[in-house]
Amino acid sequence: MHAIEVAGLTKNYGKVEALQGVDFTVPRGMVFGLVGPNGAGKTTLIKSLVGALRPSGGEVRVLGFEPLKDRTELRRRIGYMPQSPALYEDLPARDNVRFFGAAHHTPELRKKVAEVLEFTDLAERAGDPVHTFSGGMKRRVSLACALIHRPQILFLDEPTAAVDPYLRSRIWKTFRELAESGVTLFISTHLMDEAILCDRIAILRKGRVIVSDTPHEILERGKTRLMVRQSADEEERTIGGRPEDLAAALHPYGLGAEITGVEVRADSLETVVLSLIEKEEVVR
Amino acid sequence: MRHTLTVARRVVRQLLRNRRFLALSIIAPLVIVYFLKLFFDTMPEMFDTARYAVPVAAFLVHFLAFLLCAIALVQERTAGTMERMFINGFRRTEIIGGYVLGYLGLATFQAVAALTEVIWLFELDYETETLLTLFGVVWLLAIASVMLGIFVSTFARHEGQVFPFVPLIILPSVFLSGLLMDVEDLPTWAEWLGHALPLFYANTVIQEVIKDNGSLQEVWGNLVILAGYGAALLLVASRTLREVE
Repeated sequence: MHAIEVAGLTKNYGKVEALQGVDFTVPRGMVFGLVGPNGAGKTTLIKSLVGALRPSGGEVRVLGFEPLKDRTELRRRIGYMPQSPALYEDLPARDNVRFFGAAHHTPELRKKVAEVLEFTDLAERAGDPVHTFSGGMKRRVSLACALIHRPQILFLDEPTAAVDPYLRSRIWKTFRELAESGVTLFISTHLMDEAILCDRIAILRKGRVIVSDTPHEILERGKTRLMVRQSADEEERTIGGRPEDLAAALHPYGLGAEITGVEVRADSLETVVLSLIEKEEVVR
Repeated sequence: MRHTLTVARRVVRQLLRNRRFLALSIIAPLVIVYFLKLFFDTMPEMFDTARYAVPVAAFLVHFLAFLLCAIALVQERTAGTMERMFINGFRRTEIIGGYVLGYLGLATFQAVAALTEVIWLFELDYETETLLTLFGVVWLLAIASVMLGIFVSTFARHEGQVFPFVPLIILPSVFLSGLLMDVEDLPTWAEWLGHALPLFYANTVIQEVIKDNGSLQEVWGNLVILAGYGAALLLVASRTLREVE
């Protein structure tokens, strides 16, 4: 059984068709990315999956449950981190996490609150009111609230929006650790450098899934511009996105026939900046 | 019940942490009661201040309990915590019940503080039984006001949408509930409209028990209606609070 099964899902707001027949499945234990520009319907889709929104049509199953009909059963098993922090800002981080943990009758709540705050790197500020936190810290408190009852699926609506690259990388490290422990993660994002970190992505545009595949497969559908400079000559060619295409394009320039694939993995600007920050921290 | 207590505990904790809000919501009625005293001191000597003092204190408690609770619940919606509570398994009745319990403490404190000040400032000399009845009726009114606030909040998507309900619900209480004049003097339709307001029942009890020969026996039905009013609003609000968009 898949963690999430969606078939023909529609949602209309009056004449506006926010979702126009969405179909996809998410296997268990996967980091699944829902990618699309603002207004594509990502939040509407996530809210339909967690039972906060009544769809106009179609079928949704999450862990085999219907989000609205079986909401009591389902809500015990899912964690939800909305786009806004959705926290009680005058209460300390610890009280926020404890409150949502108490909703699930979490056993040994005090211990688990301490654990999840440690996990999200908030232990030192656990007693401080949330309104004294930065945007990134609020996101982590929100994540801790979604994790406290150890859900089987985590729904995260743009979890790293407006978060700096350093914190984003730490949050993604957390996501990977969760996925390794068997949790399914359903993450919406409009950031492409984040989408590439997912195991599989669905691209949502104007309420429709236009493609669903692994980021690698989707990248291979793209084109690569190859610029070859020889003496004073410069030649430009457009080739396919696969390593085999690059190798074939380089054979006429002397690349050995035994080399069947060439792939260039240059660091992104974000990776370079992050490594510089890390180096600076080590020096200090 | 456990969920209801969890919500109530959180509401109380929030109130206690928000000291400025807490101080203002208790000090504001006390200051206004003092202004009332200054105003009544300008009246001719034959003016019956007792006829107005306690009902006006009751009105202040009614107004503040309604407004504070309505705004607090709407803030839950705008902040996204209401949706989050539902997705975490809280039910409508548990959220509303938690708010009632949480705000009950504040409403009780407001009722006791405002009444104590009125009785002291206006040097009202009532028997213990009358005093207890007055505290009881203002307390019941405060509960009904909290319920009214919860009910109204279910129709508002943001704080701004609460304010139109103030002239719609609270201000008519000033003119139609017998606070300023006897409702019998109003046109029949207005008199009946007054019957829809919780302050009408509270004021009827207050006016009766502060009379020299007044008796609670004559008006006890109004206390029952006031309690029923709160319970009915709780029931309706638990149906109108939107769980799913």
